[in-house]
Amino acid sequence: MALRRMRAVVALAGAVTLTAGLVACGGGDDEGGGGGEGKTLNVLIGANTQYPEEFQAWQKSVSDKFKAQTGATVEFETFATANDELTKIQTSVVAGSGPDVYAVGTTLTPTAYSTGAFVKLGDEQWDKIGGKDKFVPATLGISGPDEQNQVGVPWVSRPFVMVYNTEILKAAGISKPAATWDELTQHAKQLTTGDQYGLSVGYKDNFDPWKFVWGMSVQAGNPLVDGKTAKLTDPTTKKAYQTYFGWLTTDKVVNPAAIGWSNSQAIAEFAKGKTAYMALTSATAAKALDGGATKGKWSFALLPTVPPGATSRPANGVEAASILSGDNLLVADYSKNQDLAFEFVKLITDQEVQLEYYKAVGNLPANAAALDTLKSDQQLATVAEAAKKSVATPFTGAWADIQLALTNVVVQSIPDLSKGSVSDAQLDARLADAQKAAQSSLDRAK
Amino acid sequence: MTDDGTTTTLAERGEDTAAAPGHRERRRRGVTEQQRPLWMLIPGGLLMTLIIIIPLLLAVYISLIDLDQYTLRRWLEAPFIGLDNFVEAFQSGLPNSIWISVSFAVLSTAATVPFGIAAAVATQNAYRGRSLVRAVFLIPYVLPSFVVATVWRTMLQPDGIVNNLLAKANVDGGLWLSGPKSYWTLILVEIWAAWPFIYLMALAGLQSVDGEVHEASAIDGANWWPKLTHVILPYLRGPVLLACLLATLNHINNFTLPFVLFGAPAPDDVNVMPMIVYVTSFQSLRFGLSAAMAIVSLLIIAIPLFVYLRALRLDVHEEGGRK
Amino acid sequence: MTAPTRRRPAAGEAHRLLPPAVLFAVTVGLCAMVLIPLLYIVLASLNTDLGVASGEFWPSTFSLDSYTRIWTTADLSTGLLNSMLVCTFVAIASAVLGTMTAYVLVRYTFVGRITILRGLVGMQSIPGTLMLLPVFVLYSSAGNYLGVAVVGTRWGLFLAYLTFALPFSTWVMVTYLRGLPRELEEAGRMDGASTVRILFRIIVPLSLPAIVVSGIFAFLLGWNDVLFASVLTRPETQTAAVALSIFGATQEGGAIPVYSQVMAAALVTAAPVVILYLVFQRYLVGGLTAGGVK
Repeated sequence: MALRRMRAVVALAGAVTLTAGLVACGGGDDEGGGGGEGKTLNVLIGANTQYPEEFQAWQKSVSDKFKAQTGATVEFETFATANDELTKIQTSVVAGSGPDVYAVGTTLTPTAYSTGAFVKLGDEQWDKIGGKDKFVPATLGISGPDEQNQVGVPWVSRPFVMVYNTEILKAAGISKPAATWDELTQHAKQLTTGDQYGLSVGYKDNFDPWKFVWGMSVQAGNPLVDGKTAKLTDPTTKKAYQTYFGWLTTDKVVNPAAIGWSNSQAIAEFAKGKTAYMALTSATAAKALDGGATKGKWSFALLPTVPPGATSRPANGVEAASILSGDNLLVADYSKNQDLAFEFVKLITDQEVQLEYYKAVGNLPANAAALDTLKSDQQLATVAEAAKKSVATPFTGAWADIQLALTNVVVQSIPDLSKGSVSDAQLDARLADAQKAAQSSLDRAK
Repeated sequence: MTDDGTTTTLAERGEDTAAAPGHRERRRRGVTEQQRPLWMLIPGGLLMTLIIIIPLLLAVYISLIDLDQYTLRRWLEAPFIGLDNFVEAFQSGLPNSIWISVSFAVLSTAATVPFGIAAAVATQNAYRGRSLVRAVFLIPYVLPSFVVATVWRTMLQPDGIVNNLLAKANVDGGLWLSGPKSYWTLILVEIWAAWPFIYLMALAGLQSVDGEVHEASAIDGANWWPKLTHVILPYLRGPVLLACLLATLNHINNFTLPFVLFGAPAPDDVNVMPMIVYVTSFQSLRFGLSAAMAIVSLLIIAIPLFVYLRALRLDVHEEGGRK
Repeated sequence: MTAPTRRRPAAGEAHRLLPPAVLFAVTVGLCAMVLIPLLYIVLASLNTDLGVASGEFWPSTFSLDSYTRIWTTADLSTGLLNSMLVCTFVAIASAVLGTMTAYVLVRYTFVGRITILRGLVGMQSIPGTLMLLPVFVLYSSAGNYLGVAVVGTRWGLFLAYLTFALPFSTWVMVTYLRGLPRELEEAGRMDGASTVRILFRIIVPLSLPAIVVSGIFAFLLGWNDVLFASVLTRPETQTAAVALSIFGATQEGGAIPVYSQVMAAALVTAAPVVILYLVFQRYLVGGLTAGGVK
């Protein structure tokens, strides 16, 4: 009995301690005082797991600067994936409370815009953040549907580039990396021997496949959306899919295991040093490339800008070396600290902080002056050029659905890919499904 | 919750069976003599009303309005469209998804039961290292779903460890994560991750077996199988049946596993209900439609569930073999 | 004490349920089933990210790097602390409330009893994705209209998990309590003990296995949830599961995810639960003994 009592006392003590903890911590969430000082600005940005320490150091430095400037505290929240961020945006918009500033990916910006929950940028707002002129012109391409209706302030660019293994190309006597998709296919064929492959592709990636299909289509003159009409069954789009699948099925320049790879696995494959080319969706892969057998043996080039099946770009084709990729900063219109929010946006888009961020995590500045200072680096010059030749995806609230539909074509084709071919009829049927989904979403778009 | 006459009779009928026959008289008296401590229902009831029932009603309302990204900001003003969302849900892939989900859940549950019971029985008698083994059995259950899914996704790659091993045995593993086989992959991984649930419930059930029962039926090692199936297992019927029911519901609502294992958009073969609800809600931003889908599936699960519950009298039956 | 009929055989040599050979086969088989994938997790956590991404089972280079780096990649220590705090409370509270509710449901008749019992099962078939938005609206309304900040607090999360765990906890207790002989309490009732006293003096000690089970599941529910925690917490209140999901971050443009750290972090977050279980399992197993014989 004594033992039992003692146990009860211990349990009780434990419970009391825990309660104290719960209450004490619960009380620590005050929103700050009422005055100009002591306010808290909540900022939602993507987590960075590649350079966590540098990322945190940058956050600290920005917070300190902002505190010195305005007296307000910045609190950074991070999200793991774009889906998480979308969930956060949605719940915050419905409830009318949440982060004040969001860093939103470029392809997600139209979706965010369509909620109408972000502050539109008039002259007043642009002035507050230092004017439109301080940005690289191309980066403004996906700030809004038109000049009068912009919500996104460019923050960083992550253009797509192609990486190639310099040794493999040199050994085969190829002096210049491919500049057209056909040339790329042909190089890849030539470079596929034994356990060496011409291309590394992540067919099972959930985010990437549509990006290349979009690129090839737009180079052939089809931006996939024309006003309120989806054009996914266009021959240019079909050709793009055929090329993308063909690398594996007819050209056989890709490791057959690639049907199960995500983008990062494709990078890992390239980093083994046994692959000639890979189309990257971000130059930040450089770290992984230097960590593998490819250290010192790789170089960036622009992605081909001549559509498959052509030797030169058609008249209506666009020289899209990359999707306009990166992050925009959006200020929530429910925010009670909008002035502070814009001051913060100004701070982190100024040259100094932009360069700091570049040094910390390797994302390219959207600030023109900051980008200019980086020109001396050869590898970077290619990336910077890709940034300038970036083209925005169509600005419509339906884009998220269209992206999903485009990716779904690849997802559902994987079993056929593994069998060795995706027939015309199968591809047509899947494209028709995608077209239907895309069109119905466009019809709903307001 | 108020009740009409029908439910009251139901309740009384239930109570009749709930009270073991011998005690009925005394019970009746006990209740009239003693005040029923119904206040003890209040804290739990209040919480469930506030955080489950009210949000559920709100969800029902959402399923009746055209709530999407364009109306999200002023959701109270979103147009009321009646059952349109439900009609659209049925025209979309929902029926197919429900079929996949239900069959997947039932198969997974059926497959986990032998594992769970075997593990519980195997750790019933003490031996050196038993607590370690028990802890090991728990591991799949305590690993977060997304880790479990990541691990299996990596192992089941076309060029992953599983296929490499199969290749050594001259078997072509093929595609585990795409195409028709992905359905079985989902079930396999779910079994791996979920059997400890049955195990824990069965273990708790085994504790209620009296020592005398063991003694009475313990003759020698030779007839362990009849003893197990005829003496011990009946004790487990209640807990394991409950476990099966709940496990099935958990399988049906498991979102993280298919999402991380296959990604979104998922292969058609594993486009389970939570996937389609999630994608509709948080990728296509059609909240109204997705709420309608979720409610349809909820009803479709709930109806057989209640019929089943009534038929089995699970909520009223006496524990097998108890005095 | 009461319940003299309930006791367990001492070490039970004579009452083995399985012959040694079968016991051995079952144990080894199940352990292998669990441990082989687990071995993969352990090996991956000792590998490099690139190595895991390229599909290695046996690391070409071993390193403990991941175990030191996880603490800076995401705020895992804050997450673990928060999860511990919130989930421990959820476990205790749901066991207490579940036992109380179940006791009334099992021992007393009243209008709506069966409806409640059925409702308890029905509530468990509600998908989380359906509830996320409404619960968030409810929570933030409390902030907007009542001036009580719920979103972002630990107790807000605690209430949500507790409520989601309650139907199950109550059900476990209902099935268990139904099997307890009524005589035990009635002896107590004759002595004039109050209901609460009977509940905590007689019922609780006898129900420890079920209470521990319902507590464990309530704990795990909170421990593994990402969906609700990701929108209901802020950086300083985030749970381990949210911190863990940061490791799965797919940076746009997809550099190699930190696979190795994911595995290391998963093992680190799973460890407290396994330890807790090891601590509690003697209650789980010896519950009846504690209540009856000693």
